[in-house]
Amino acid sequence: MPRLSDSMEEGTILRWLKSDGDPVRRGEPLVEIETDKANMTYDADQDGEVEIIAQEGQTLAIGQPIARIRAPGEGSADPSGSGRGGITSGPAPSAVAQEPVTAPTPVRSDGRGTPEAKRIKASPIARRIAAERGVDLRALTGTGPGGRIVRADVEAAGASSAPAQEEEARAPAAPAAPAQVPGAGEVERAKGEVSSQELTRSQQVIARRMAESRATIPDFVLHAEIDMEECQSLREQLKQLGADQPPPSFNDMLVKASALALREFPRVNGSYRDGRFELHSRVNVGVAVATEDGLTVPVVLDADRKSLGEIARASRALAERVRTGVITPPELSGGTFTVSNLGMFGIKRFSAVINPPQAAILAVGAIEPRPAVRDGAIEARRLMEVTLACDHRILYGAEAARFLARTRELLEQPLALTL
Amino acid sequence: MASVRYREALNQALREEMHRDEAVMLMGEDIGVFNGAFKVTQGLLEEFGERRVRDTPISENTIVGMGVGAAMTGLRPVVELMTVNFSLLALDQIVNHAAHIRYMFGGQVKVPLVVRMPQGAGHQLGPTHSHCFEAIYLHVPGLLVAAPSTAADAKGLLKAAIRDDNPVIFIEHEYLYGRRGEVPEDDDHVQRFGEAAIRREGSDVTIVGVSRMALTAEQAAETLADEHDLAAEVLDPRTLRPLDLDTILQSVHKTNRCVIVEEGWPHGGVGANLAALVQEQAFDYLDAPVARVTGADVPMPYSKPLEEIAYPHAPQIVQAALATLRDV
Amino acid sequence: MLRYRRFEMAERVVAPEERTAAPLPEPERAREWLATMMLIRRFEERAGEMYAKAKVGGFLHLAIGEEATILGAARALRPGDYMISTYRSHGHALARGTAPEAVMAELFGRVDGCSRGRGGSMHMFDLQRRFMGGYGIVGGNLPLAAGMGMACDYLGTEDAVLCTFGDGAANQGTFGETMNLAALWRLPVVFLVSNNQFGMGTALERHSAVTELHKRGESFGVPGLRCDGMDVADTFTVCAQALERSRSERQPVLIEARTYRFRGHSMADPEEYRTREQVEQWRARDPIVSFGQRLSREGVLGEGELARLDGEAIERVDRAVDFADSSPFPEPPSLYDDVYVLGDQVGGWYSVDARTPTPHRGEDERAMPRHQLPGGAGYESEHTTSTARPIGAVQGLPDETDAEESDAEETDAEGANPDRARPDRARPDRAEREG
Repeated sequence: MPRLSDSMEEGTILRWLKSDGDPVRRGEPLVEIETDKANMTYDADQDGEVEIIAQEGQTLAIGQPIARIRAPGEGSADPSGSGRGGITSGPAPSAVAQEPVTAPTPVRSDGRGTPEAKRIKASPIARRIAAERGVDLRALTGTGPGGRIVRADVEAAGASSAPAQEEEARAPAAPAAPAQVPGAGEVERAKGEVSSQELTRSQQVIARRMAESRATIPDFVLHAEIDMEECQSLREQLKQLGADQPPPSFNDMLVKASALALREFPRVNGSYRDGRFELHSRVNVGVAVATEDGLTVPVVLDADRKSLGEIARASRALAERVRTGVITPPELSGGTFTVSNLGMFGIKRFSAVINPPQAAILAVGAIEPRPAVRDGAIEARRLMEVTLACDHRILYGAEAARFLARTRELLEQPLALTL
Repeated sequence: MASVRYREALNQALREEMHRDEAVMLMGEDIGVFNGAFKVTQGLLEEFGERRVRDTPISENTIVGMGVGAAMTGLRPVVELMTVNFSLLALDQIVNHAAHIRYMFGGQVKVPLVVRMPQGAGHQLGPTHSHCFEAIYLHVPGLLVAAPSTAADAKGLLKAAIRDDNPVIFIEHEYLYGRRGEVPEDDDHVQRFGEAAIRREGSDVTIVGVSRMALTAEQAAETLADEHDLAAEVLDPRTLRPLDLDTILQSVHKTNRCVIVEEGWPHGGVGANLAALVQEQAFDYLDAPVARVTGADVPMPYSKPLEEIAYPHAPQIVQAALATLRDV
Repeated sequence: MLRYRRFEMAERVVAPEERTAAPLPEPERAREWLATMMLIRRFEERAGEMYAKAKVGGFLHLAIGEEATILGAARALRPGDYMISTYRSHGHALARGTAPEAVMAELFGRVDGCSRGRGGSMHMFDLQRRFMGGYGIVGGNLPLAAGMGMACDYLGTEDAVLCTFGDGAANQGTFGETMNLAALWRLPVVFLVSNNQFGMGTALERHSAVTELHKRGESFGVPGLRCDGMDVADTFTVCAQALERSRSERQPVLIEARTYRFRGHSMADPEEYRTREQVEQWRARDPIVSFGQRLSREGVLGEGELARLDGEAIERVDRAVDFADSSPFPEPPSLYDDVYVLGDQVGGWYSVDARTPTPHRGEDERAMPRHQLPGGAGYESEHTTSTARPIGAVQGLPDETDAEESDAEETDAEGANPDRARPDRARPDRAEREG
């Protein structure tokens, strides 16, 4: 049964135009077939004698034999259809099953193929330059958003490997480039199964507030490097002093130092709200703490008035309450400034999103021995990088810089922290 | 150069054009005795008298229609509407008459009318006083649309608008009125329509900012330079019709990336239109989809935090620009 | 069978509501009034036929029955006065002196139409004769009229404006706004309500709480007059009085002319909103029949003169149809003409034109030599080159010559079509401007 329309799956023999045993020439009308779309006349595809297999009125799937055309004088063929002379009627069923309905189209070098073929993600200008220079996009790895091949990728490839590309083009057997192309299915599954997760309440709050922060706060950031050698030795001393108590952490020192500096720079401790500055009488420093499903910021109230030991105890207690999930909203509110520390993960430097309506957030990196110049000589010092992100509506560069310098000064000469 | 506020620059333009051409006259609600809702027409009644500076009743459609009729018969009226939202009351006269009369009557008359109006959010004026409708007027063939973002352009474009023989929708911005800028001190600073300004040169991404957003785009470009080491080219089209598309396309040819920033709504907006033009004209130069940063697709809310997030700020522009370059 | 219903002399005459008949003008003028009303009538009848033959597209609003209101108002104007009308404006253009050829060609959408085929039935325009247009938006023309009155005032001329609109337009916001402003600023504008008693298909009593429309200006300070809109002499007299008052006292006047359209609102109107009897009653007061009777009665028209004038009107309309039929359609390249006046202060793209290889309009046209430009496209702006222009030298005035003689040819008064009239001037090319 020949395939006579794009959507035909089976056909019905309406009428044979030749009788059994009639001679037929290639191109002569042979049979009328009803398809899903129309009644069509099918012409013989070779010369010979007709041996009808399917009778009028019979409906057959495409690929089923409907007749055999024998060479003239040839005897009756083996009904299994294996005899010489062939089957008149289209692809074998197995072939139908194997071949997709659409004919395979050669993949073009510009990456455009049939809709089913993998479309290479490349920008218009990358495609244009690739076409001009004969660069095969399939051989490139995109560095643009979402892996898009961009102009720079093509230009880099064009500069380095244009001759090689040409050679490959001359050697048709070279499988290198196509081998890099993942199959269509692979691309669909490249990200694997997608599962959708509802946000917890706190994740919703974080999402909303962080988006609001990014959308509304014109921020700028300041970087500083702080020498923590003195803090280190202070901590050693305190460790020896308070035998039963764990000594204050570097983070506690940071909280204390920034709290003291905040007292001196009230705008850093303030808020920009509704076109005015709000300055707060209390200095409450939030400490970002990672939780299982996000992050939370318990607040060390009056951090400027608490001793270092009090801060250490308070923050340890808060962190514990966060971990055990018993932290209460009052312990999470009232912050006027935030310290976020990712040093324990070995992060050298990062920038944090301001927690509105606060004016600034201090992002703290790892303390690492690094080469530093002291008195004209290079020596290894324990250094820590901090990044202060500021709301430019209330804080300006110089003031924020002075605040940061003061914080640094307090940490580099940490005796004041113990007062 | 003199440092002049945007509203003063507009005032200078009106005054100079009224001195230059007797046919120029002003009409609008509270532009005379009250000196203008935004004080743009300060002192003009005193200087030119009631014949040429006319306080009107609150009848937007009729005062614009009168401007059309007067423009058809020899005057060069400048009509002030108190906000762009109120211009909707006059949309019939602006579209059906001001824009169409010359065409529909086979070129027999011209309508040298200027309709000035301020737009924009940021002053908590809520959903009937704060919108940005450049796109509505850009939509209409027969109108010219200017949206100056600096004091110099406010003056130069208004003078050109008054001298032009076409109806001009002149869109000012409430936020900009009080901002100072350098204005050339020559007697006759006229800024030709259809010439975009390159506010900042750069080679990594083109940012087109409309009206106030030209300024916000400049802030974003600074951040991109300071924090991301990217050189953004900031363009201010200054007039939307006629449009200096050539300058925009030249920039896109260079940067291969384009971000369009407007305060108005996204659907059918200026950016939607410009994005279509850019992809039509510069498709083979693009390294990323043309990005838009627009006002939120909502009526303008009153409450400050909501209003703040309902129109674009520099960080969003930075994000959009970065997204044309890499995954963010 | 006659192609036209004849103006029967024997029809019943209904006296205009308790009024002494307005005086007739001198005989020559009276005959011209009658002849022009006949021209308008015959023109509109033919326009209706041409609509059925699909020569005329879109809407076609006929004013058959309203000729006295149209002509009486138009004849009360001085040449320098402005007239502005509605979407039912064929008669106003004809009354103002626009050639029937140009009006018919406009209906046919041809290049010789009085709006160059851009406007159609609803948007006739003739700047030359200060007919400032028909407008498709009900009530939309009132503010324009006030603006024109303001310009007359501002420029210190003695010109006035006559603005006609229908009873339906009296309910638009622009009516109240314009009455107020015109009275406030004492503008020389006469507003004439052609009260044909239906706003489309809605009867006056069903659309207006106050049906005496002449009273509706009073609260704004606009005095009201009324006239018999079926009587051309009465309409003329009242309009002339109003214009005189408006001109000398610098104030608007509102006139209500009671009239009736004998045909439907538009060609597609089954007229289900009124009775045949009512139509017949008003038809009995046909303004052309009754004026013809009066002229005959008072000895202005001689034996057979009515038929002769009618025959001339029919012939004139025949010529208009022939002319319109032979006038070409506008050329496709003229599509973008006259969207803008292109002065040198304007650069960049002004239109997106997806039909051309470079899909925009603006720069290319400006760089083209004038003679290569699409017809009529103007690239000059007075105000770019001359900074001190005497004001008042404005738009075209009707010429004093007989309309029938002059209207077929293109005459360009100062400003009438500046683009066509003005000689070419060197335009700086783009590079120069950018430099």
